[in-house]
Amino acid sequence: MSSLALESTTGTPTAPRIAAHTVDATKIYGRGQTEVCALDGITVEFEAQRFTAIMGPSGSGKSTLLHCVAGLDALTAGSVFIGDDDLRTMSDRQLTQLRRDRIGFVFQAYNLVPTLTALENVTLPLRLAGRKGNDDWVHTVVDIMSLNDRLTHRPAEMSGGQQQRVAVARALATRPEIIFGDEPTGNLDSHSSGEVLHFMRRAVDEMGQTIVMVTHDPHAASYADRILFLADGRVVDEMRQPTTEQVLERMKRFGE
Amino acid sequence: MLTTAIRNLWAHKLRLMATVFSIMLGVAFMAGTLVLTATMRTTFDNLFADMYQGTDAVVRAQSAFEGPQESTGAQRGRIDESLLPVVSRVDGVAAASGEVSGYARLIAKDGKALGNPTNGAPTIGTNWTDNTTLNQFHIVEGRPPRADNEVVIDRKSARDGDLWPGTTTTVLVQGGPMRVVIAGVGRFGTADSPGGATVVAFRLPVAQRVMGAVGKFDSINLVADKGVSQTELVQRVSSVLPKGVEAVTGQTVTEESQSALRKALGFFYTFLLIFAVVAVLVGAFMMFNTFSITVQQRTRENGLLRALGASRRQILGAQLVEAGAVGLLASVVGIFAGLLIALGLKRLLVAVGIDIPSQGLVVTSSTVLICLLVGVGITLLSALSPARKAAKVPPIAAMQLGVVGSTGYGSKQRIYVGLTVLGLGAVALLLGLFGGVERPMLIVGAGALLVFFGVSILGRTVSLPLSRVIGAPLPRLRGITGELARENAMRNPKRTAAAASALMIGVGLVGFITIFVSSTKASINDAIDRGFTGDLVVDSGGGIAGGLDPGLAQRVGALPQVETAAGLRVGIAQVDGKAVIIESGGSDLFKIMNVDVRQGSMAELGRDGIGVYHKIADDNGWQIGTTVPAVFAKSGHNTLRVAAIYDDNAQAGDYVLGSAGYADNFDSKLDNKVFVQAKSGVPLATAVAAVKHITKDYPGVKVLDRAQYKSEQSKAFDQLLALVYALLGLAIIIALLGIANTLALSIGERVREVGLLRAVGMTRSQLRTTIRWEAVIIALQGTVLGLVIGLFFGWALVAAMGDQGVTVFRVPATSLAVVVLLAALAGALAAVQPSRRAAKLDVLRAVVSD
Repeated sequence: MSSLALESTTGTPTAPRIAAHTVDATKIYGRGQTEVCALDGITVEFEAQRFTAIMGPSGSGKSTLLHCVAGLDALTAGSVFIGDDDLRTMSDRQLTQLRRDRIGFVFQAYNLVPTLTALENVTLPLRLAGRKGNDDWVHTVVDIMSLNDRLTHRPAEMSGGQQQRVAVARALATRPEIIFGDEPTGNLDSHSSGEVLHFMRRAVDEMGQTIVMVTHDPHAASYADRILFLADGRVVDEMRQPTTEQVLERMKRFGE
Repeated sequence: MLTTAIRNLWAHKLRLMATVFSIMLGVAFMAGTLVLTATMRTTFDNLFADMYQGTDAVVRAQSAFEGPQESTGAQRGRIDESLLPVVSRVDGVAAASGEVSGYARLIAKDGKALGNPTNGAPTIGTNWTDNTTLNQFHIVEGRPPRADNEVVIDRKSARDGDLWPGTTTTVLVQGGPMRVVIAGVGRFGTADSPGGATVVAFRLPVAQRVMGAVGKFDSINLVADKGVSQTELVQRVSSVLPKGVEAVTGQTVTEESQSALRKALGFFYTFLLIFAVVAVLVGAFMMFNTFSITVQQRTRENGLLRALGASRRQILGAQLVEAGAVGLLASVVGIFAGLLIALGLKRLLVAVGIDIPSQGLVVTSSTVLICLLVGVGITLLSALSPARKAAKVPPIAAMQLGVVGSTGYGSKQRIYVGLTVLGLGAVALLLGLFGGVERPMLIVGAGALLVFFGVSILGRTVSLPLSRVIGAPLPRLRGITGELARENAMRNPKRTAAAASALMIGVGLVGFITIFVSSTKASINDAIDRGFTGDLVVDSGGGIAGGLDPGLAQRVGALPQVETAAGLRVGIAQVDGKAVIIESGGSDLFKIMNVDVRQGSMAELGRDGIGVYHKIADDNGWQIGTTVPAVFAKSGHNTLRVAAIYDDNAQAGDYVLGSAGYADNFDSKLDNKVFVQAKSGVPLATAVAAVKHITKDYPGVKVLDRAQYKSEQSKAFDQLLALVYALLGLAIIIALLGIANTLALSIGERVREVGLLRAVGMTRSQLRTTIRWEAVIIALQGTVLGLVIGLFFGWALVAAMGDQGVTVFRVPATSLAVVVLLAALAGALAAVQPSRRAAKLDVLRAVVSD
């Protein structure tokens, strides 16, 4: 399985490569009286080939952070880097290409184009880039996500868990530098949720992928290598190799 | 509920504007037509009332028969001028004056013939009446004619031809070109010319001579003594009149003229009204589509209202109020826009030579009422079914996520209904064309309408396979964007079909007219190839009333380069109780015009022989030697003998009279055309030059070779085609608005999908491409359906007109390919706005909405 890992995975365990990072990321919505500071100068790094979860209470800015790092939303101040590239210097076209070629997405819902089959959805970003969507890598991804018997089905013919697995496969299809998940299991029952997380974990372990995921579910977060806790637009805590119980414990303290 | 309805309207101003616009255009066109009709009617009613104001009674020959077309009117002979002193002596007659009229064509200062009698208003010659009460002219410049070569002309001709008192020019009349001096310029009441006709008034004896009416009058106009009423005058005068001559009141003549003009313009109005109906219909389709989509999008909202206690009737009512408000707004705006259209149409009429005296637009209350009723009615009607669907939304819908609602492939029941309507329409259409029923136009129109409805009912069923086929090359051509476009066009066949339906109507009619006109032109060419074996045609350009003086044919025939020159004459007669156009020529003519004589001989027509087209002979059971009753305006009742039966009526029409027979029965001595065959061995150019050397004395006359003759014969059809295209363009614009609107609405439904696509890397230009191709598929779908219908209509009409010379069915592949291409382009154009808006969508908002 190691052959599937990215070529550039040569960093030492003590100094992991950084897939994306922010410097003093600030995001302010509204103006004057209605001004809301969603991100209050966050500086954070996301390591490559790791599974990172972002947690925090509602309004903590976790989704905003994800959207800004993923190039879906623009910062008010500060910088975001994917690899060494500063997103703030990019045009809409460059951002689109960045999302297409270097970033993968899994949203909470509505991940798939309803008129396309599972396989067509998986290969969509590749084909948007004008590439053939039928190489060995795609086959491997489909294999690992156990989607072989679903390839010709349309989203309406699949369960929620299956749909999210297709979404993960789609995110993996372009061999992105980093995959962002916005509550990818938020709409699933616990069984399907566990299944999807299991596959995400495999993508990191067996394919050397990098995943950053926002979640409010402690069990989901426990699949991650590292958890960032946000509150009021700031990173307030961090946890490595978490367990569900530890996360629950930490989350309780937000309520106090 | 009312406020909800109104708020809904305001919340979607853009959509509102598009919908209002679509209905508005149709209503505006209708209002424009009605306003123009009323205006023209009032104008001409006033004009004729003015012209005959001083005339209390008219003595004229009784009508021999009614002309073949309604507009030709009563056919009368002339009366003897000796009646004038007889009538003048009747007690109560204050003044009496004889009048003749006929063909006279003025030559403008630049040497070109004035007026266009083939397609437009007539070119009239008449006599100058000294009695100012009876004279319809009143001189505005110059003086009455005093010498035999002096004339008074109407002011429109004076303006158009730059002919003012003192100018010398030429008038084409029966005796040949005549040099005249303009003595005066006059007007008719408030108009420069009666309806755009050119009028030349000679001194009476001159007029009688050049109209071929020596010793004759067309009518004697009378003024009554004070205290004698029009009716009384008519009674007194009638007692002294011989058999076959009648006296009528001035009032009657005024009304006859008024109604004759109305009939003449009636075709034009009908024509315009048909397009107004088409425009309204297309608007209704778009309306229906828009309402259907909005109702579907408002499913949750309506569910919420129901959950909050709104009754079904209230929901239905709110939807209808919304529709009614749209309809009302559109109708009111449409009526005002209609005034502009009426002004535009008036300009158009003036441009084609119909002079309309200056008069404000006449807006009658019935015009306003009709437009409001049609506008609001059609809107409500098209909103009814969507509104009922809205009322059926259950309260639970408020709690359900996402938009439900069927994408609709069409139930079996629906297919049966569609097929039935389509079948009924086709049967009605064919029955109207071939069945010989009463009011065939109405039945054909209703049939055509049903065919359109039938196809649109079936639309959603055929839409899916059609989109699949039309879009088939797209994935290969455009990759993923093409594939998505195709899938999007296929995902809701009901909607795609509805958007395509509106375009289908416009394209259907365009296709139909294109096929029909091109078949007609092909038939004309074919007929000329078959029927005309000569080399040149000399055309008077004077239409059925005008012509070439017979001297021209003689002079051309005498040329050393010419083998034969033979004139063709035309007249109106009643044969076997039916008013018909009859043509005439000597035996020379039939040497170079091949009519495929089956029995008898054209050389044996003599004085009382008639040649008949074989279908007419077959229908009536006539054979060689059968005697047929005929009525002529000049000679009255007569008996003709069938002397020839021929197979080809494309050149000589259905009835042919010999030259001697024509001279006996018609006053006119004018040739409508002269057909020329050059001596063998003479180059065409030499022959043309020789003939032109003679015709230079006859301004307005055209010398045409075969190719020019063909294109001259089809010219009228090209003009018709251009006009029809312009008018149908309107319907197509509405349809395109419909496609744009549908796209905008469906994209509104797909915000999240669009956001997703953008998030996973679709560029703005890829997104625009996708939407553009979706629009192209919809447009092509409408076009394909329209062309199939147009093909059917075209075929049916061509088949039905086989007897009237349309013998060739020609499908102009190039023109139709251009139509398809334009439709695709137009579809892409319709996508510009929706795709731009979609591309501007905020990716994030689209992805995380809710």
